[in-house]
Amino acid sequence: MDINHPMPDPGPVTPLYQLSGVSKIYRKSGREILAVQELDLSISGGEWLAVQGKTGHGKTTLLQLLGGLDRPTRGRVEFAGRDLAAAPEAQVRKVRASSFGFIFQTFNLIPTLNAHENVEAALIPLRTHRAQRRAQVAAALDSVGLGDRAQHLPGELSGGQQQRVAIARALVKEPKVLLADEPTGNLDEDTRDEIIGLLDTLWRERRLTLVLVSHDSSVVRRAQRIGVMSRGRLSIRQDTRA
Amino acid sequence: MFFFTYLRRELRRRMRQAVFIALGLAIGIGLVITVIGASSGVKAAQAKVLRALYGIGTDLTVTTTPKAPSGKPTTGQANSGGNFGPGSPRAEICVNGKCYTSGTVDTLALGETGPLSEAAVGQIARLDHVSAAAGGLLLTDNRITLPSASNPNLSPPTSFTVDGTDIHYPRLGPLSNARLTSGRTFAAADQNSDVALVDSNYAASHGVKVGSTVTIGGTRFKVIGIVSQPQAGTPPNVYIPLARAQALATNPATGKSMKGEVNTVYVAADSAADIGTVQHEIEHLLPHATVTSSSDLANEITGSAGTAAKLAGTLGKWLAVLVLIAAFAVASLLTMAAVARRVPEFGTLKALGWRSSRVVSQVLGESVTTGIIGGLAGVGLGFAGVAIIDKIAPKLTAQVPSASGAPSGTQTITGAGGTAGTPIGGPTVGHTTIAVPMSASVTIGAIVLAVLLAIAGGVLAGSFGGWRAARLRPAAALARVA
Repeated sequence: MDINHPMPDPGPVTPLYQLSGVSKIYRKSGREILAVQELDLSISGGEWLAVQGKTGHGKTTLLQLLGGLDRPTRGRVEFAGRDLAAAPEAQVRKVRASSFGFIFQTFNLIPTLNAHENVEAALIPLRTHRAQRRAQVAAALDSVGLGDRAQHLPGELSGGQQQRVAIARALVKEPKVLLADEPTGNLDEDTRDEIIGLLDTLWRERRLTLVLVSHDSSVVRRAQRIGVMSRGRLSIRQDTRA
Repeated sequence: MFFFTYLRRELRRRMRQAVFIALGLAIGIGLVITVIGASSGVKAAQAKVLRALYGIGTDLTVTTTPKAPSGKPTTGQANSGGNFGPGSPRAEICVNGKCYTSGTVDTLALGETGPLSEAAVGQIARLDHVSAAAGGLLLTDNRITLPSASNPNLSPPTSFTVDGTDIHYPRLGPLSNARLTSGRTFAAADQNSDVALVDSNYAASHGVKVGSTVTIGGTRFKVIGIVSQPQAGTPPNVYIPLARAQALATNPATGKSMKGEVNTVYVAADSAADIGTVQHEIEHLLPHATVTSSSDLANEITGSAGTAAKLAGTLGKWLAVLVLIAAFAVASLLTMAAVARRVPEFGTLKALGWRSSRVVSQVLGESVTTGIIGGLAGVGLGFAGVAIIDKIAPKLTAQVPSASGAPSGTQTITGAGGTAGTPIGGPTVGHTTIAVPMSASVTIGAIVLAVLLAIAGGVLAGSFGGWRAARLRPAAALARVA
């Protein structure tokens, strides 16, 4: 199904995300690259949407538009009724600090900070009190099974453990949305299953909205909806939502 | 605090680079401190010379150029050549038109400077921003014993310098810098007494003690005290009350005594900032006078002290500036390179919701800390540099304009040899060479400047890096990871 067509009536539930007519064009060496084309998409609160697609077909760009890390060239990216495409940067930053959790393929941990401090970094923009920060970080690390590795530097942790720290960092502020860009791309099969199992559990327990980008079919098939990005266009291949 | 934890960890991670930046800044700042220390050492040496010339409290001196003597003959005449002996022609000395052919001639002559009316001292004292003004007479006592039948050869003339001191202003003039080593100094009651203070070096070489007498201008003065002057100067040999000096000295222009006249006015301004204003006021009041400030006098000092001052003031200053600029440039480039390497890190922080200002302050904090470490190391290097200069610096020499001056051409002696026009008396050259010890030192001001420079270097480097970090778009920064 091509979602460039109007979305089916989502029912009484107001969508958390509403993207309409979104395009993103990059200019590189005088050439225009159309990363996302005329995209219309609704994402409900608590939904798990997985996006597949080849490299360079706009998956990461879509995720960045959803996370307020970039702005579309055209169109609206409404999150909880607010257009992130038109909002001032300070407002977008606030939304990013409080509502979005990011997980990256390369973990993106600060190499000089230990696990505790890496997770704590996500609470700095929220000006949380130090004692509360400490408690929240400890709880987040416990939730990913790394309570005993809080003082370890990223270099002292395995790839799977580093991604768990990254997940703890994404979840410590209790965001509404978790945006994961190839979260298992750098992991072996066993660790991949472990991380996806963890994300599945957290999604269910915390009723998160999870948007996950991956090449890996075994990862995306756990999602409620699976979309495929091709040449900047998204088409939904599977929708298992009740 | 998270800020300091992050800062500490980052500096530790980039230890080698941080040390390199800090070292660059340290060398620059160390050089600045060393140059300032050396410069202040040279200035202190110059100040010693200046103080020795005109005293501690004197900001300005006022002098005039002497006028040509009036119609009376000013030179003697040789009657004939050859040794003196029975029947030989006699030598003759003429002073201010009065000629002598026998005995000892002892005269008190005016120096290189011309006379000024004592009324001018009062006028200067009443000017705005003048805290005090005092007149003085810098003279040379010349003595010559003419040949006689028992001693047919002409003895070489002797001379010493005499300062007529206004005893009401002990803090102005050459005597202000002196330290009493024995006896007593002038009292108000000594104003018209034949009492004298003698410089310790002169006293030692001539066997003068407290209680002994010295003959000045043919008058015997009782020595009431011995005074010592700093090494770096050519102090007068004898100090007598101004009124007595005025009574004994003769104005070569008029041939009369110098009552009511002085040849130097010592002026103290209210503050250092007022010196320029006071100088202009006096120049306006006495258009024919020469008004010399300490800085003018410093420019007249030549020799290695002058050369060292110029070296420290020009070459040293520019060398320090260039090294500092290089250090700042290297620090800025390295910080920018470090920021470039940390683009994904800053992109991640921005994705987490960090403000750009917070990221910038983190970069600034790191570079300012590096700068402060460099500054502290620079202060250490500066101390070391100054210590080395102190250890190896040779004694400076200063050629200063002679304070006591030479006679103004009113006295000449002609000997039996018939060589006409040989001037007699004190220092006949315009400059005196003095050895001045140089002691470089690190001042609080230099340390404060070093810390400010270090912070400035850190802020500059951090600003470039921070500016680069602030401009990062999170998406673009994160794209660098992939």
